[in-house]
Amino acid sequence: MAKRRSVFVESPPARRPLKIFAFDPMLGRAAGNRITIDITNEKLAPGPQGSRVEVVDYDGANRCYYEPVNLDHPFILMQGGLAPTESDPRFHQQMVYAVAMKVIENFELALGRRMTFRRSRRLRLMPHAFYGANAFYDPKLLAILFGYFRADRSDPGPNLPGQTVFTCLSQDIISHEMTHSLVHRLRRLFLEPSNRDVLAFHEGFSDVVAIFQHFSFQSILRDKIQETRTDLRSPSALVDLAQQFGYTTGQGQALRTAVGNPDPKLYEQVDEPHDRGSILVAAVFDAFFATYQHRIKDLIRIATGGTGKLPEGDLHPDLVNRIAAEASKTAQSILTMCIRAFDYLPPIDVTFGDYLRALVTADFELNPVDDYGMRASMIEAFRSRGVYPDNVVSLAEESLLWEPADGLPEFPVEQLHSLILSGAQQYSSSAEPDRFIQTVSSDDQERDRTSSVGEAAEESEADVEGLVASQLGGYGRVNAAALGLDPQRSIAVLGFHPVFRVAPRGQLLVEMVAQFGQHDSAPDERFGGVPFRGGTTVVASAEGKVRYVISKPMRSANIAEELQQQAKLREQRQLEFVDHVDRSDPLLAWGDDAYVKNRIVRRMNFAAMHRGVR
Amino acid sequence: MSGKIRIRMYNVGFGDCFLVSVPAPDRTLQILFDCGSHSAGPGPRKVEEVAADVIAEVTVNGKPRIDVVVATHRHQDHVSGFQSELWSKVEVGEVWMPWTEDPQDPQARKVLDTQSRLALHLESAMVALGLADEVVSVARNSLTNAKAMRTLHDGFAGQAERRFLPPKERSNCSFSPACLPGVKVHILGPSHDPDVIRDMDPPATESYLRLQVAKGSRSDDLKLPFGSNWVVDESVFAIERPYLCLKPTEVGRIINFGKGEEFELAVALDRAVNGTSLMIMLQIGQSYLLFPGDAQWGTWSVALSDPTWRTLLARTTFLKVGHHGSHNASPREFVELVLSNEFLADVSTRPMSRWKYIPKSQLLAALKGKGGKLARSDKDEHDPPEFERVGDKYVDLEVFL
Repeated sequence: MAKRRSVFVESPPARRPLKIFAFDPMLGRAAGNRITIDITNEKLAPGPQGSRVEVVDYDGANRCYYEPVNLDHPFILMQGGLAPTESDPRFHQQMVYAVAMKVIENFELALGRRMTFRRSRRLRLMPHAFYGANAFYDPKLLAILFGYFRADRSDPGPNLPGQTVFTCLSQDIISHEMTHSLVHRLRRLFLEPSNRDVLAFHEGFSDVVAIFQHFSFQSILRDKIQETRTDLRSPSALVDLAQQFGYTTGQGQALRTAVGNPDPKLYEQVDEPHDRGSILVAAVFDAFFATYQHRIKDLIRIATGGTGKLPEGDLHPDLVNRIAAEASKTAQSILTMCIRAFDYLPPIDVTFGDYLRALVTADFELNPVDDYGMRASMIEAFRSRGVYPDNVVSLAEESLLWEPADGLPEFPVEQLHSLILSGAQQYSSSAEPDRFIQTVSSDDQERDRTSSVGEAAEESEADVEGLVASQLGGYGRVNAAALGLDPQRSIAVLGFHPVFRVAPRGQLLVEMVAQFGQHDSAPDERFGGVPFRGGTTVVASAEGKVRYVISKPMRSANIAEELQQQAKLREQRQLEFVDHVDRSDPLLAWGDDAYVKNRIVRRMNFAAMHRGVR
Repeated sequence: MSGKIRIRMYNVGFGDCFLVSVPAPDRTLQILFDCGSHSAGPGPRKVEEVAADVIAEVTVNGKPRIDVVVATHRHQDHVSGFQSELWSKVEVGEVWMPWTEDPQDPQARKVLDTQSRLALHLESAMVALGLADEVVSVARNSLTNAKAMRTLHDGFAGQAERRFLPPKERSNCSFSPACLPGVKVHILGPSHDPDVIRDMDPPATESYLRLQVAKGSRSDDLKLPFGSNWVVDESVFAIERPYLCLKPTEVGRIINFGKGEEFELAVALDRAVNGTSLMIMLQIGQSYLLFPGDAQWGTWSVALSDPTWRTLLARTTFLKVGHHGSHNASPREFVELVLSNEFLADVSTRPMSRWKYIPKSQLLAALKGKGGKLARSDKDEHDPPEFERVGDKYVDLEVFL
């Protein structure tokens, strides 16, 4: 009797484990520094090259490539990825890929849609692109370039003098740059400094993402909770950014830290984007810490028989485990809340105050009841740093919510249905590994470079085309004045996408977000080459009812008096910003006319912003 | 000249040299602020001749003597005149320099070291690139100026005391030095504040690091970061991994990042060195003479946010306009909101064909518009009667005690 062959087919696992340095090589073999993270499994070509990112290991200083890693090789799969080492470039490739994908996943989780890059091209990660103490995102190459350099010889901190330092082995640096690229994807015009907060937001937000990823590393978290007796604010690798980089460049400390005293003077005085961004980071961290304390209060009461006073000596490991779980849950909630706020931001001219309003609104939409006081803590943390949004009467939650839209007609929802459907398909397929990996195969990679995966999703991102663009554009034109835009000027559709989110109570929230923009095309030397812009984000429900209009009004006699006032205020702020830049810009003295005309535009690149990575 | 303070501004071209003479009961006190000229902006006479003039001016009974020599910062256009051998005969009471010159201060050593190293690499890289001399001169201005600095640190006749200012204690920043009877001195900068110090650090850009490599001083820097077994030649990679291979234009963009930024770097360095400038107010009778060197926004910002300093700045009766009249050494806040409506001002400058914003005409107009009476070192632009111009040598200003 012939045996029947089994028809059982192995299905690919949903997740792929990979090893990385939790922080950077400086911490060496310290407990918990070598960890395994898992990311969505996708089929990879040597590089690794996945569907959205690819590692291109070109060294511009030595003019050569390094052998690309094949993460699907059985020997590597067997070990769950290569073991952390500084001396094998393939581990570097693995680490940048793993961390980059982790950041993308965090964005997808929070935003409720699949992230792709412009025209569905792959973001390139270049772990050893140049010699230098810097790393930056270059939109033109659609690449993140990481530098490597020798540690300071006279002041290397806990490193060997002259040792080679790889910026691509710092989890923080990878996450930070990755976030820049995603922020740029979501809000291209946030690179255009029109007030003191815009570039600082880019930097601060990138630091927030990097910092809060630290809290997913359980063993380190447990150690620190034991060590600090639950006070996670005390200085440690958890709250510091890029320790190795800071020490090796002779700063004698980590690059930046999440902990900062609330001093409203800072927000008034500090201009440098990274330093100003640190105010945002400190505020978010404060909100995290307050929420975390709130969440562990009962655990501590239980453990101390109600006194709340922890006994001398080590904490009970069970207690530490439970507290660590709360800390990491809180951190993930805060991170998700921070990213989710993106959809409620104006398309241009963002301020920290706008961000606070976006945080409150986005979170309110999903959890009307603020169970752990997270929103309240966030508001308090911003307030204590002197960050007040414009045009609000108080800092109560109700007044911080963006204004609901009045009198705007329904969104042209008919024409958008197909987009919503394809968006939903994209998002759900990314959760299914087997279907997902069909989209890329090494045979047709050449073709993939130009066309490729997720065309539909791409259209629904920034480069809106065809019928949708004309439908939305028509909506924008007809309702220009209500959107705070000048009906006399042309209006561009900067972006449109459907969003799918599951609220903690289980219900599915579907929304549509559209962004409109316009600008003054007459060159204005006072702004150093950056045009004056107006822009509006519209959030609508799935049925087309407009929920929120988040606008940065354009100068125009055709809009409401109140909006005209806002436009005027924005213009003053833009001038004030240019004035601040000018007073410490030596090139204004030594430069020529062309420089003066374009002096602010010239600051709009990450390579320059990160000069000396400050 | 009894009863009057005289401020003499020498015409050194693009540079500074000011001699302040203050009558005292038994003699005239002489205070010299800087003596130097930029290599790209010489004056009508060589800086050595100007130095000789200064020395002749302070010679009494065949003995040259200066009570205090102030070197606001080590830029060539402020110190090059001290290269002259003639200074070895001049008796000097005290030499005042910014704290960044203190050889005992490790922080100062670090600042100086970084600045000088960058200047050195930058200058030779710019020369190698064949950049115009005027452009290279911006980097050259920040070179160590070793000979001149030797005079300031170890030269002069007599036992000149060296002071590195301001003291770390804020309360010691105003004092009445024994060597200058009747004069109260306020040192407003450079602060020891970490933010100000950070501005003294030129940016450590990748082009800077590359410069060090090019220079060969750290040739091991260019070694491969990995064993050569990992290296794949560009042409081989193009065949093996066509899907990852970069286009030639993309490679070009990568290897050229940070190139062609030498001039910007030189300007950033120039600003960093200017950031070490002493900012001094001399209070003599009713006169408040402000010599801010070439102080930049960092120093100004600290001074303007200190209430005592701000009040003091508001009393300014004479202003040496900083950095040859460029916009970045005279903040708008100071000019528009702090400065009174009645003051005298000297601008030591000359037009440079390449840098047309030095001096900045709007700044000079704003000072005049405010009610300031102002003279330039290089030319007579309707000198107010208070000033007396002697040929192309110097401009004198006398104010009553």
